[in-house]
Amino acid sequence: MEHEDADTDEAEKGVNASLALDSASLDDIRDVPATMDAFLASIERRAWRMAEIHLGNREDALDAVQDAMMRLVHHYGAKPAGEWTPLFWGILRRRIVDLQRRRKVRSIVVGWLGGGKDDDGDELPTWEPADDSPDPSGRLQDSQAYGDIVAALRNLPRRQREAFTLRIMEGLDVAETAAAMGCSDGSVKTHLSRAMHALREQLEAWR
Amino acid sequence: MSQHDRELERRARELFLRASHDVDPAMSGRLRAARRTALSRPHASAARRLLLPAGAFAVLALASLIVWQPGGSPPSPASIGAAVESDPNDLPPDADSADPALYKDLQFYSWLAYNDTKSPSRK
Repeated sequence: MEHEDADTDEAEKGVNASLALDSASLDDIRDVPATMDAFLASIERRAWRMAEIHLGNREDALDAVQDAMMRLVHHYGAKPAGEWTPLFWGILRRRIVDLQRRRKVRSIVVGWLGGGKDDDGDELPTWEPADDSPDPSGRLQDSQAYGDIVAALRNLPRRQREAFTLRIMEGLDVAETAAAMGCSDGSVKTHLSRAMHALREQLEAWR
Repeated sequence: MSQHDRELERRARELFLRASHDVDPAMSGRLRAARRTALSRPHASAARRLLLPAGAFAVLALASLIVWQPGGSPPSPASIGAAVESDPNDLPPDADSADPALYKDLQFYSWLAYNDTKSPSRK
């Protein structure tokens, strides 16, 4: 019981450490906590933001993060703490892709069933889970800028978006990004270079 | 890499970290709950690891039971006859309960039984 309390304390410290991230220092987020609880506590918010960028939906993002946490704990909990970071991002990336594919299939099925069009033959919107919570970006001082980068990222092909978010936003090194994306180091560099090129054009106003 | 690229990277990272920092309390609570759930599940997983071989064993036992026929194959008339003849000390069927005609010609009835089980398609 004392052990659990100690773990919880360490986890809360991880949260506090995460909350203390006022600067964009990568060193702060590169420290891997020793316990799984602390590790997940330190990464859960960034993971959710990452999933939200890719999926564009808060509830789906939460599902993806929860599933990634469970899989990491169940399948890789015994691995050394140093390996958790690329494993977690790799699991989350696959989960996001699964959800995107499922969403696509759902749209196709709705179309087959004739649910895609109304009586006048106009397209009906695809079903999405209710998302009635307040817009978090509204709380941000730089909400417009964040909205711009997210919109620009969503316009990128999936692999380029993955490379940019993992390598630049999350700060994984090239090898870790490659492990999380399931590709070679060279592919990561190629995707990243193309992503940078596209973003440079889309975010011209940032210059 | 140009200065503009470096600035774009720095700003994107800074905005992402700030957005992660500013996740609303309701979602933070749900993420915390998700973490607790994930960490509490290994016990269920261990139970599942035990249940899987137990289930496999049960299926195997059921399959063996289906394949295994109690009593084995029916004895041939020759072996019955041999058994009757080879052991004269064996007790005869109970005279009160058995049909007397049965043991008048035991070999005939064993032959009949054998042919009946050997060729059911003749019926």
